[in-house]
Formats: sequence, C-alpha cells, structure tokens
Amino acid sequence: MGQANDKRLGSVMVVGGGVAGVQAALDLTELGYYVYLVEKSAAIGGAMAQLDKTFPTNDCSL
Amino acid sequence: MSNEVFNPKILGFLCNWCCYAAADSAGVSRYQYPPNLRTIRVMCTGRLDPAFVLKGFAEGAAGIFTGG
Amino acid sequence: MEAGRSPNIEILSNADFLGLDGKAGDFTAKVRLRPRYIDADKCTACGLCTTYCPRHLVDEYNEGLAITRPIHIDYPQAVPATYFIDPKACMHLQHGTCKICVPVCRSHAINFDQQPEERELKVGAVIMSPGFGRVPEEALTKYSYGAHPDVVTSLEFERLLNPSGPFKGEVRCLSDKRHPHRIAFIQCVGSRDLGCNNGYCSSVCCMYAIKEAMVAKEHDPECEITIYYMDMRTQGKDFDAAQKRAEEQFGIKFVRAKVADVMPWDKQLKLTYATLDGSHYFEGYDMVVLSVGLDAPADAKNLAKIADFELNRYDFCKTSTFAPLTTSHDGVLVAGAFQGPKDIPESVTQSSAAAGLASALLKAQRGKGVITKSYPAEQEVKADDEVRIGVFVCHCGINIAGVVDVAKVANYAGDMENVTYYAESLYSCSQDAQEVIKQRIKEHKLNRVVVAACSPRTHEPLFQETMKDAGLNRSLFEMVNIRDHCSWVHANEPAAATTKSMDLVRMGVAKARNIRPLPEQNVPCTAKAMVVGGGIAGMNAALNLADQGFQTYLVEKSDKLGGHLLEQHYTLQGDDTPALLKGVIDRVKKNKLIEVFTSAELTAVNGFVGNFTSIITSGSGKSQKEASVDHGVIIIATGGKEHRPETVLGAKLPASKKIVTQQELESQLAGKAKNRAPKSLVMIQCAGSRGDDLAYCSKVCCNNAVKNALKVKEIDPAAQVVVLYREMRTYGYAEDAYREAREKGVIFIPYTMERKPAINAKGAKLEVSFHDPILREEVTIAPDQIALSVGMVPVDTDALSKVLKVPVNENKFYLEAHVKLRPVELPVAGVYVCGLAHSPKPVDEVVVQAQAAAAKAAIPLVKGYVSVEPTVSNVNQDTCIGCGLCESLCPYQAIKIHKVDNKRKAETIVASCKGCGICASHCPTFAISMGGFTDEQISAQIKAFGELQEETV
Repeated sequence: MGQANDKRLGSVMVVGGGVAGVQAALDLTELGYYVYLVEKSAAIGGAMAQLDKTFPTNDCSL
Repeated sequence: MSNEVFNPKILGFLCNWCCYAAADSAGVSRYQYPPNLRTIRVMCTGRLDPAFVLKGFAEGAAGIFTGG
Repeated sequence: MEAGRSPNIEILSNADFLGLDGKAGDFTAKVRLRPRYIDADKCTACGLCTTYCPRHLVDEYNEGLAITRPIHIDYPQAVPATYFIDPKACMHLQHGTCKICVPVCRSHAINFDQQPEERELKVGAVIMSPGFGRVPEEALTKYSYGAHPDVVTSLEFERLLNPSGPFKGEVRCLSDKRHPHRIAFIQCVGSRDLGCNNGYCSSVCCMYAIKEAMVAKEHDPECEITIYYMDMRTQGKDFDAAQKRAEEQFGIKFVRAKVADVMPWDKQLKLTYATLDGSHYFEGYDMVVLSVGLDAPADAKNLAKIADFELNRYDFCKTSTFAPLTTSHDGVLVAGAFQGPKDIPESVTQSSAAAGLASALLKAQRGKGVITKSYPAEQEVKADDEVRIGVFVCHCGINIAGVVDVAKVANYAGDMENVTYYAESLYSCSQDAQEVIKQRIKEHKLNRVVVAACSPRTHEPLFQETMKDAGLNRSLFEMVNIRDHCSWVHANEPAAATTKSMDLVRMGVAKARNIRPLPEQNVPCTAKAMVVGGGIAGMNAALNLADQGFQTYLVEKSDKLGGHLLEQHYTLQGDDTPALLKGVIDRVKKNKLIEVFTSAELTAVNGFVGNFTSIITSGSGKSQKEASVDHGVIIIATGGKEHRPETVLGAKLPASKKIVTQQELESQLAGKAKNRAPKSLVMIQCAGSRGDDLAYCSKVCCNNAVKNALKVKEIDPAAQVVVLYREMRTYGYAEDAYREAREKGVIFIPYTMERKPAINAKGAKLEVSFHDPILREEVTIAPDQIALSVGMVPVDTDALSKVLKVPVNENKFYLEAHVKLRPVELPVAGVYVCGLAHSPKPVDEVVVQAQAAAAKAAIPLVKGYVSVEPTVSNVNQDTCIGCGLCESLCPYQAIKIHKVDNKRKAETIVASCKGCGICASHCPTFAISMGGFTDEQISAQIKAFGELQEETV
C-alpha cells in the first residue's frame, strides 16, 4: 500500500460508499477483484450509519 | 455488618454476538451502570456448562449473569 | 465495517467521480480526491482538535440537530477513522487566520498544504451505488416544516431516537425540550405525490415509520402515537406481522386518511385530516414526523452524463425487468436505491448480484490485481514452553485514561505471574503501536499478548494481524475491554472503574496463561455448483455461475425449464414475458458449463460446504436413472405457485366457473377469443391471504391485479372493473400503473377486516356484496367474472428442507441466515436460497436475488477452499463415548457421529462449525473443546474472578 498502482488488471470501481457500495466492494474482493471505493463524503457508511435499529426485527444496524 | 456498603461482585457470561455487542453499544452510548459486573466473553451462551455457574458461586460471586 | 481492513479495497473518500472513458473490461476512470487537511496515517482520531476548534458548524450527520466543529469526524466508528476539516467553515481556509488545531494535535497530523489530487484508474467494470437523495423542500413546507420546530422529518426523528443522537436518545420537542406526549406520523411525504413530480412509492417509509413509532414507544410507553396513511405497504417477508405487533402490543394507532395541513396551535400543532368518506377532523399533537420518501440522488444527472447511461423519468437509473442491474452502458452496473427506492436487504442483495455480474464480465482478469499478504514463518509455541505474557494497557487518548488509572492497572499487571513485559500505550491500535508490539514480542520473547483496550469485536482482528506479522499464532492473543465495558460506562466512578479494569486484566491474563496456538485450517472446495429448480431464479443463478466459469448442475422437477413464469404472458412494465423467458432458456441450453437434468429431483445430499455429494434421480419407472455428482455449493431455487384457497374472506369459496384466479384471468386475456375481456369484473385482493388460508402478504398480487385491470381496459375501455382491496401495495414504480388504472376508470374500493365483502352464488348467477365507504352503504353487484388475487405458496419445501437440514419459517419459506445482512444465505454453510422459495416477489426481484445467490455461492468456488475460524470445536476421540448428544443438538449440522474401529465417535465438520460451543457444554465426558474458549481457560477466568481486589482505593 502507500504507493498507488492505478493500472491494476482485474479491478472494479464502485461509486458510492453506502451499504450497497460497501457490500459490493466486499463481495468483489472475495471474488478475486481489486476495488476502488469512491465516496463523495469523508467517510463510508451512507445513510445506514445514521440508523440505530432496523425493521422488522429492530436489530441494531452496524 | 449493617454499616457496610452493599457492593456485590457479579460474574457475567456474555454471548459475543448479542449481549457482548450490546455491552459495547452501551459503552458507545455512554450509558452509566453500576461497576459490579465482571464479564467473560463466550461465542454463544450455549457454551455455558452448568459447572461454570457453580464454580462462579464457589469463587464468591454474589450473582451470575448470562446474556445471550 | 470490515471494508476498512481489506488490502484489496482502496477507499477514496472525500472524492469526486469525474470521467469514464474506454469500454467494458478496459475503462479509465478519473477521480479527484479533495484534501482532508489531515494526514490519515498520522491521525489517531483522538478528538482533541474538535474540542479546541473555535468555530461552530451544523452537524449534518445528526440531521442538523446538533452542533459540531469544522474539524471533526462524523461518528466515532467512521471508516476511514480520520478526522477532516470542512473547508467551507474553517477559519484558516476561509480567512487565513486561527490554525489553533495545528499545535493542539499531538501526532502532527494537520496539514493545510494538502492539495486536491487527480487519479486515473484502470477498471474493468463500474458499479454505481450512489444511494438516494432528499425529496423537494415544497413537499415538506406544506406541512409547516421549517416554520415550526416540532415538525421534523423521519430522518431527524431517527437521530432523536438514537442514543448517539442530539438528546442521547431521549425524544424531546425541539421547540422547548419537553417530552412529546402525542406524536403523529404523516406517510407519503414526497412520495406518491405528483405535486413534487415523485409519482412513485418509496417502498421503505411504512416500515421505518412503524419501526420509529415502536422505538419511541419503548422510550416512553405513555406516549400516544398515530400514523396517518393512504395504504400501509408492509409487503415484505414478515413485515405484516411487525405491523400487527405495533398495533396490538405497542398500541400504535393507524388512521387511513389524507392529511390536509399542519398548523401551529398554542403550544401544539393542529393536524387536519380527511378520511375516505370525506369527513374532516382535526387533532392536536406535540410533534409531527414527516415520513419522507427517497428521491433520486442530487447528482444523478451528472453521474449519468459522466458514465454515459440512461435515467428513468424520475432520475433513477433506468434498467429492465429481466436485467435489473444492467444500465444502458455495457460494463456499468447499478445497485441499491439508485436503481429504484428500496430497503437495506434489497440493496445488499443487489450489491452482491452486481458484484457477481462484474465478476462474470471480468472473468479473464480475475485474481490478476489482488494483493495477497505474506507473513513470516510461524514460531512454534509448545505446551511446555515457559509462558511469557506481554500486557499492553491502552489510554485510548482520554477515553480510558480520563477515567481509569492506566499506570496503576499496568503496574498491577506487571506483578502477575508469567507477565514478562508490561507497558502503557497512548493508542494501542495506531500503526506505530503495532510496530512497538512487534518489537517487544521479539525483544522479550513474548509468546502471549494481552491488550487491555476496547472491544475484541472491533479490534481483535487488527491485533491478531500484528501477531501474525510478528511470527506468532494469532490465537495466542487475548483482549480485555476496559473502554466500552468500563471507562465509558463508569465515567463518574474512577476508583471503581480502575478496580474493575484490574480485575478484568487479571482474568484476561489468567486466560492467556492457558491459551494454545490453534491451527489455521482450510478445507478444499470442489469448484462446481448445484442449482435446484429450473425456473427463472434457478436459470439466472446457473447462468451467472457458468458465466463466472464454474460448472453447474441444474436440476428441474418438471420436463421443461421455465417454471412458474411459463404461465405468465406479460408484465406490469409491458414486457413480452414468453419471448424473454425463451431467451433465458436458450442461453441456459447453449451454455456448455450448465448440465441440465429435467424430470429430475435431488434425492440425497451428503457432505458439507466445499464437499457435497448428491444423488440426482431422473425419470420414473423403468427408465429411472440415478446420477451421483460432487459439488461445493447448493442454491435452492425451487420456486412457488399460485395458491388455491379454500377459504376466501372468512367463508368457504362457492364453486363457480365464473370465479378465476389472476393467473387464469391473465391467460384468458392473453388469448385470441373476441370476448376474452369480461364486460364487468370484480377483483378481490388478499383472497385467501393475510388471515384466511395464508397468514402473509404475497407482495405480487396488487401489481398483478392492476396489470390485468389495465389489460381489460385496453381490450374493452367500456368494461367495468371494480377492485376490492385492503391496501393497494403497488410499491415502487408500480404506483404509476395504479394511478393510470384509476385514471382509466378502474374503481378501487377498500374493505376492512371488520366489514369483509361476501361472494354469493345463486344458481348460475354470482353476486358480490360489499360496503362502500364513500357512499357509506352496502352495495351488491352481479359481475360476469370474479378474479381472486390468491397469493403465492412455496413448492416442495418440506422434502428438500429435510434433505438439506435447513430451516423454513412457519409459512414454509426458507429462513435466511440474517434478514438484513445475509439475505441469500441459509444457516447451513454452502447452502443459498433465491426466488419464490425465499418469499413471494416480482420477477425483477427474483432475477436479482438469483444473481446474488450465485455471487455468494461463487466465493468458495473462486477461492478453491473454505477458511475455518480457529474457534471451532474439536473432539477428543479417546474420551468420546459416541452418545450422539452433540450431533442432535448442533444447530449447524456441524458435528457427526461416525464409526472409528467399529466404535461410535463424534467428529467436527470444521467448515460448517460456527464455534457456539453447545456441543462442548453438553458433552457428558468433556471430550469436546472449543478453540479459544476451553474449559481450562474459562475456569481460569472464573478462578481469577474469585481473587477479588480487596483494596478499593
């Protein structure tokens, strides 16, 4: 790490680091790809990071 | 005796996936609770052999808490 | 959030997507990284800078309900865990003054010289997942939002309920901080509203409103909550049951009405509403919550221009029913709310599916760009080696040290038996602290490490990584939580918190004395897949697996592929279903990697994830054949069918040829007969569902009813169509079709459970009588035909669930491993589910779920192995008496009895074991030990607990 290699073969760009983007990125790495996760704001997580509990089980969200 | 402050030591067995996680979020949320609990993390409360509970009492626990 | 740790995910946050050139498989993407003004490698996220920053800033993370500073972090668990400076508000960046943060930062992380950086990335595919945007202001202001502080959006209310929110989880009115006694929710704000050009239904608001109402009730049971709605659209799996709970257990009131306006009224808010019969009422509330919909992201148009793909009429990404994640630009995929408003599990499902599609597209490049980390050879730690423990006690800035006397705890640890080294650490998780730990391991020949800091749930993997880097087995590590479980929760009792920390460290060290290195195990995986069910779900799953390069067996019970969809003729979106289905069937038949078995069933499954052996029985009688195949994973796609109810609307259904199901009506309407459309037609929704034969909502019937009603009107505009419904659940874009049907004269009349319609057969004549809430009277009509929306049931789940030993819910649908985060996996490792076998859903959602199941199933096939956590169980064959108690109790089918030298012995199937320890706690001869949680370790902890700290300082 540290040094960027931007010409990597077998890489995918994911635009948006909410729960959808993060899940896609994790699955892609498991399937053997390198991922650039591009997020507009300062941290990933998106709207889901603002939630405490989720329907219908009212589990915690993170 | 009557002058002593009641300060029981409680032994807790917490499931990694739920109760231990809940105790973590209690911390993140800065909920304040009495400092009497000492915890042991397990991967599931299914791990609890009844012998652990008896041992806990034998070691002087005033109460045993299981969270799963 | 594990994404922050993967060496193969580079997070480019604070970044803008600027351009995309090239073609699928060979794109060049341009990205600009805006400066954070803080060096991410140096920032320890201590938060000191925020406390010194003199300027105020509205906290957007808390929906503007709290105040933060220009230099801040959104929330403590943020990834990357680096603070940043908002240049819009920073005094130095705006006016060249201040710079107070620079000397305050102890790790010298603040760097105002940072410049924007542009990067060009070579990527094979792009997945667009920018999420959703906010509904227009005018949808809110008409309910006095902005004019009165106690009118809040549901997102703001979410933050009010949150323990980390502005009032620490207490619900208070923003006007005067009082606790609200009466709260109203208004549904469909900015959804189903042509006034703000959002004609669609946002599909999530009914669910989150119920959730928020229930949580608010938990906070304050005295609080009265009313939800004003048009239709409660709780069509998802088990969602109706949650609504019922809200109503019956929590006492939340549901009122079907249109809210006209919300006006300030003394200290309260006056809410005026009109019910269906045209009556107007008003009520006073302390707080009004607007259930805001999901809009297209604000920069949708820009993204579409940059990446060159089409949007739909609402500025969401345009896709089609049979390829729901493919944009108009080859190689650019979409996932999540940008594809259309949706909830978390559906977003997660789409993401997995999109990953699978990208994986198929880039098959030839797979594995070429990944970074694999290498570690030094593992140092052997024998059972009789001297135990040398290193204890590191973390300050966590002031998070621990502000309460706990860290030096005292560390010194206390230093006096313990076997502790050869102890130290304090300012931030034990920081990069330099890892280096220190590695050095100390070498210098002091440590063979156990205890870190007393935060939670092992978040940080154990990081330290275990450091152990591996230092050449030690990662299981030789133990973590003690003196932050989340101590300093944070006993902030006002520093002495007691210090004592507790000492106790916890003593217990941790006691365990550490007993820990042993555990083997890292990988179980090889056969790179082939089995898909059960040849409908649209099974075929899509098989196609994706084959496209990713894996041989797939597709087993179909009937004599041809296509399944339930063979009976459908058109979709609500106007697709030619038979033609599209034929296209899929042809692709399956042509694919060399897919081996199709028709008239076949899976009759036996042996083995476990990575190593299944199954028997496929095909044909019958004399031509019956059995084939034995090996495979690594199984996808269940056994589908569903239209239910044939006996009880409709609480009464026995009369026998009449004039009564048909929606599917039968569809076939009739798709035919050639001149009089195929009835002159007068009554449709009855929820016939046999939601309380009759079936308890649940089937999600698709409302769409099908609207689809067929529109078809009748298309064939004969003069036909009379009456739809009797409880709630029209035409969620998402289907709302447009519902509106169109109303405009074309289809009459929709709601009924309630208290006043159900009745079907009467008088000889050949059919009558339907019902209560019309607008006319406020009983009406009886005699239609030519009655179409029942009968719901969907799964097929054959009983037999297969027993063969696979996977659970089903009370409605016989398969039960997924985690509703939100693992929606296509079953509790038994290596077994996945998709389509109607999971729950009823429309075609596009079935296709996505099938692709997601294929993507998840492909993971072990790609790796070629299944990795096993060291926390699995291990049976001592010498002491096992073969009683079989463990096998009968294991919830994951992960322990089996077999014969060793003619004696019954238990053995763990490590690939399936989740480490719960039920087997170990029940074993009568203590023959089973759990990795990292042995009897000796736990007993040592209990014993150490007993050595109480007498001195209480």
